[in-house]
Amino acid sequence: MKTTPTFERRGAGFWVSAVAGWALIGWGVLGALHHHIDTRPTQLARFVIDGVVLHDLVFAPLVLLGAFMVARIVRGRWRAPIQGALFVSGCAALFAWPEVRDYARVLHNPSSLPHNYTANLLVVVAAVWLGAGVIALVRR
Amino acid sequence: MHVVERMTTHPGRPLRQGRFQSPLRDERVAAWLGAGLGVMFTTCFVTGVFSHLHQHPVPWFPVPARPVGLYRVTQGIHVATGIASMPVLIAKLWVVWPRFLSYPPFRRVADIVERIGLLALVGGGVFMVFTGIANIAEWYPWRFSFTASHYWMAWVTMGAIVAHLGAKWAITRRALARDRPPMDAADPVLETAAESPHDGLTRRGFLLTVAAGSGVLTLVTIGQTLPGLRRLALLAPRDPSVGSQGHPVNRSAANAGVVRAASSPAYRLTVGGRVTRPLSLTLDDVRALPAHSAVLPISCVEGWSYSARWTGVRLRDLLALAGAPTGAAVHVQSLERRSIYAVSFVDHFQAADADTLLATHLDGQVLDLDHGFPLRLIGPDRPGVNQTKWVTKVTVL
Repeated sequence: MKTTPTFERRGAGFWVSAVAGWALIGWGVLGALHHHIDTRPTQLARFVIDGVVLHDLVFAPLVLLGAFMVARIVRGRWRAPIQGALFVSGCAALFAWPEVRDYARVLHNPSSLPHNYTANLLVVVAAVWLGAGVIALVRR
Repeated sequence: MHVVERMTTHPGRPLRQGRFQSPLRDERVAAWLGAGLGVMFTTCFVTGVFSHLHQHPVPWFPVPARPVGLYRVTQGIHVATGIASMPVLIAKLWVVWPRFLSYPPFRRVADIVERIGLLALVGGGVFMVFTGIANIAEWYPWRFSFTASHYWMAWVTMGAIVAHLGAKWAITRRALARDRPPMDAADPVLETAAESPHDGLTRRGFLLTVAAGSGVLTLVTIGQTLPGLRRLALLAPRDPSVGSQGHPVNRSAANAGVVRAASSPAYRLTVGGRVTRPLSLTLDDVRALPAHSAVLPISCVEGWSYSARWTGVRLRDLLALAGAPTGAAVHVQSLERRSIYAVSFVDHFQAADADTLLATHLDGQVLDLDHGFPLRLIGPDRPGVNQTKWVTKVTVL
């Protein structure tokens, strides 16, 4: 992929969609400002920007570092299945994080988060790695 | 700026753009992921606006009462698609992340417009997926209202997608065209290189892995709304068969602070507003009215749902008894005070429907306090939060 910026000519389609897109963005921002008691725009804006900063400067570099380490350490036919298993199980772990931490317990609702999510996450991760192992063996 | 330029362009620096040489960072991979994400986010947007119109009724869109399970389907799709989009979003941002380091970041007005739009796109995308997933797990590490913020940020994100579509339309069309060379081959039109032999995931393998990530997350959560896959729902935040009377609730009576009022002998149901015979009924009075049963779903905005047999008095019979005009809409009010869902609107379609009930029984048993004892509103094609529990007042509008 080209990582240097390309400067091809922007046609009418670019500007039409830019105007339409920014109109929708403007509608969303105005709505958030109008319902400021609920949306708390300053906190909302900080939360959104914090999300971008955390992703671009913390999460993405950590993933890149992890991927780099895997590429260096794991060789041969195991590398692709391990990369795949790491991605899928990582997604499952990220999704399950608030369940494993049981943040909902403060609501004292017995039907919220009814499972043992730590155990269930381990089962899901084990199944993913088992599947990756089978794929690696089948591809020999 | 000099430091940034040196870090991202000097051959000896770690962030030099040329260092990101993974064959997965390919225009075609980015295009496939972007197209998938566009379809998923658009699906979430459309179903989300539908849910918003259910919860914040507008005169130009009276919500129909049929089909009975429409909201169950649309909200199930909304939450399932949102969950499945997480791996796609992560993969897409990983593929294009080195562009964050491109230097200079812009040269023309069009580049500035595109870059600011990307901030809205990345910020909006991460925000929508994160807050959506946190909300279904009932985790709120913020102080703004989830529903209002998620809704208005959806417009921002959708706008950013529309703007991005214009910037990437030509290249995406070329990348997804049927006559393109195989993904591992060079593509002279897109100026992308062939995939050299390596041990890691191929481009095709990477896309399949992302699809597997979405598939696994769907498989382990969708059982919260699809009964056939309930046993596989290991990471679903709710189990539709766990809770009082065998079903979950979103808010318990204790949390709502209604235990005493709902259990009190002084409980009354009043029917007022635009009626000729205002009513004030005890629970026994309500139970003495003709009862009707209907199998209806509880469809939570958080994506879980279940069907049950509800028994109670038809809302339309109660309105007729009070002398309400034909075709009237009503407000139904709960004993609960401090909740944005303490009052719900029932439009004329729903109020007149034969299956819209003030229920006293669930699956043949008297309602549990957590399910809304003494009376709960239950009607077809309504979000769970609008199936008001602990009903004490009906006002004809």
